Amino acid sequence: MGIPKVLNIWSTHQFWVGFLTALGIAPENIVFSSDTSEEQYREYGKGRGTVDCCYPVKCMSGHYGELIFGQKKKIDILLSPMIYSLPSFLRGHVLDTLTCTRVMAGPENIKAGFLKERDVFAENGIRYVSPFVSLGEPQKVPKQLYLALKDVLDLSEDETARAVEAGYRALEAFNQKMRQKSREILTWCARHDHPCILVLARPYHMDPGIGHEIEAELQAHGFPILWMQYFPIDDDLMQWLFGEEIRAGRIKSPFDISDVWPSSYSSNTNEILWGAKVAARFPWITCVLRFSSYECGMDQPTYTPTQKIVEASGTLYFKFGDLDATKPAGSIKIRVETIVHYVGKYSPDIIRRKLAALPPGCPLLEETTPESAPLAA
Amino acid sequence: METITRINHYTAYRPRPFTREERATVTILFGGLTWKHERLIQGVMHNLGYKAQPLPNITRADLDAGKELIDVGACCPTIFTTGNLVNFLKSEMAAHGRDEVVKRYVFLTAGACGPCRFGQYHESYTMALDGLGLRDFRLFLLAQNQLDQGATHGGGLEINLPLSLGLVWAILCADVLTDLEYMTRPYEVIPGETDRVLRESIEYLYDVFRNRPQAKLRGGKLKIFAWHVLTDYFTDALREVRRRWASIRVDRLRVKPKVKITGEFWLQTHEGEGNYNIKRWLEQEGAEVIPPPIAVWLDYLLHSPITSEEWKGAERDRKKIALIRALEHIYHFVYNRFRKALGGLPYELPDQEELKQLAKPFYHYELRGGEGHMLVGKALYAYRHKKAHMICELSPYSCMPNTMSIGAMANVLGRYPDLLYAPIEVKGDAEVHALSRCQMILTEAKRRAQAEFEEVLAKTGLTLEAIRRYEERHPEVQRSTYRIPHYGYAGTAANYIIHLARKMGRSVAA
Repeated sequence: MGIPKVLNIWSTHQFWVGFLTALGIAPENIVFSSDTSEEQYREYGKGRGTVDCCYPVKCMSGHYGELIFGQKKKIDILLSPMIYSLPSFLRGHVLDTLTCTRVMAGPENIKAGFLKERDVFAENGIRYVSPFVSLGEPQKVPKQLYLALKDVLDLSEDETARAVEAGYRALEAFNQKMRQKSREILTWCARHDHPCILVLARPYHMDPGIGHEIEAELQAHGFPILWMQYFPIDDDLMQWLFGEEIRAGRIKSPFDISDVWPSSYSSNTNEILWGAKVAARFPWITCVLRFSSYECGMDQPTYTPTQKIVEASGTLYFKFGDLDATKPAGSIKIRVETIVHYVGKYSPDIIRRKLAALPPGCPLLEETTPESAPLAA
Repeated sequence: METITRINHYTAYRPRPFTREERATVTILFGGLTWKHERLIQGVMHNLGYKAQPLPNITRADLDAGKELIDVGACCPTIFTTGNLVNFLKSEMAAHGRDEVVKRYVFLTAGACGPCRFGQYHESYTMALDGLGLRDFRLFLLAQNQLDQGATHGGGLEINLPLSLGLVWAILCADVLTDLEYMTRPYEVIPGETDRVLRESIEYLYDVFRNRPQAKLRGGKLKIFAWHVLTDYFTDALREVRRRWASIRVDRLRVKPKVKITGEFWLQTHEGEGNYNIKRWLEQEGAEVIPPPIAVWLDYLLHSPITSEEWKGAERDRKKIALIRALEHIYHFVYNRFRKALGGLPYELPDQEELKQLAKPFYHYELRGGEGHMLVGKALYAYRHKKAHMICELSPYSCMPNTMSIGAMANVLGRYPDLLYAPIEVKGDAEVHALSRCQMILTEAKRRAQAEFEEVLAKTGLTLEAIRRYEERHPEVQRSTYRIPHYGYAGTAANYIIHLARKMGRSVAA
């Protein structure tokens, strides 16, 4: 079973691993394609593109090609789900948690490049499976995956439903583990009054070939990096950050973003806006890195609101926009130096001002749990 | 509280109320459709006591104004429509002053489209308002999928059944008239006749909507709905339009390729500089254009919930599906009544189920955003039913959903290599490039139309002279309102010859 490691697979891979292993597929028989790279596209995806679009979708041709042509052990099935909605922690607080229109339809676009002249999947003895799946609505998922996979994997409805449950459990366990790790980092920052950098980006910017590891360059300078997707959402922390605004009636819950983003349909967009709100409030996040890919239509309307949200509290904001296939190493280096300078210079003041705006009693400072091992920083 | 006020956190734009008392003095601005649709919508609004005014038609200058004030990377419909509002407000501010503009106008626009950027246009509008120093200007959103949304904040605008049904009926009437316009103008004998009668017809229909009987707009929702569905008020008006239209004489022996327009909602609907005036340009290049009715989009919105509701399977949801299906039937019934009132000339609405099935191997029908699977479905529908020689798909540069369906079309073209398909990417400022790309495909479409025409002449054994003689004896066939059935040829001229051959008593297989 080959799965292209693209788009929202970056935030749902644990679901797919949990789901497939629960169906009896051995973990070693679940193969993800490599991280995105220009070489991957040149070798496996060239000539398969059908339209010019953002790189996170365009690069999928290389991932498909690598799974078809680049495996030592040939795959039998290429699974590329059309993920329509996502299981976001904001669900219930926002209008919807849909994926980007390109993200959900990407497989239909990319498969065309492998079918337009002849059926490349069939020629290579591979079954192409692309279930339409609403991961944001768990009650729909068993039926959706059953209908899409029953003939391919010889499934019953019951075992599919059980496997779906296992998939969600695996995803939730992973997310919780990551949030716990983030909390440990934040606790360390709070206790040492150390600045921390928050990344606001889409999940697939974690792919070194899409996000170009810009945040890693900053981490090398001693600043812990957190991704908004895994920011801790524990009630004590949320109440500390948003409690007064809830009581003042500005928002209904810590996860309500209607005060800054009324059109809250897109899951990743919603989370980016929520992350911006958190960054604007959390004292030890003194800097935000915003990543955005070239031609991202979902990000485009959010550029100014996100920046305004973050900068309202004096938090530093740096955007790396129009990211594409090539890593602009030189300009990244120069900008990283600038960021390091500003974070070093202004963080103490930013922390002090943001702390003063919050009620006393930061839960991270009052925690009795043992602090995690010293960070590399 | 004190701790919160130390940092003034960002908040999104919130319009101040538009009150009921302001209705008499505040003008509701709107736009985004064609001048015909907008004029009839204005009639509906006037009928209900609102002051309403469409924004001026889009110009190239709007693109520049929009680019100045919103974030980079926006799609051209966003830029054009934002710039359009900006330029109007600027000119009004110059004439009446800032405060007067804020007091005098509100802007109403469609929102709530789900995943596509279309539902976020208002973010660009508010950013532009900030740029103009008009943060206190009022902008309201109208959901596309609810007929009864209640009063807007302040009660100045009530989105109720009389308004919503009026808007839908106005759109349907403008749609059928637009069909008539585009099937007539390329063949008109006296240049300019179509546009002249069209203007008169729209003004006449404006009065019809402006004078909707108030007594029929009061009472229960069911009563109001039933009146709109069953009344002869609108069909009588369309019959009058048909009577006026009959004065236009046409020459259907002009061989023209039929070009079906599909694409992103705003670009395909628009008539003007926002899409390089491509429909007029195609006509100038010798084509007959099949315009995209907004009615198909509304039908899609109506039909879409069925696919998601079907998953649930509960008794309550089955009832909901049955209700939606009933509404679909009523919707088609109304549209077909309007078509019939115009002599059956406007095109029928494609069956949504058929569009879904045609697109199925290439594009999943539950993928939302833009027109979803319909772009693939419509192209195949026109191809399979021989409704057009060529598809011209208009997509904004960087349009998220359209780029995906254009990509999927590569698979379609692999299976149907003789489908003539011209995907045109519109940036707003690259006219020559876009039109020359379209022209390449149009050249082949012209060749096919000519070949089809010659085939039909040979098949019927008719000569042009014989046809002209018949036309002289039967001048009614040259009326624009004379209906030519579809005999399986895409071109108007080919179907016309088959029709006349049959009228002459010749036995011709379709």
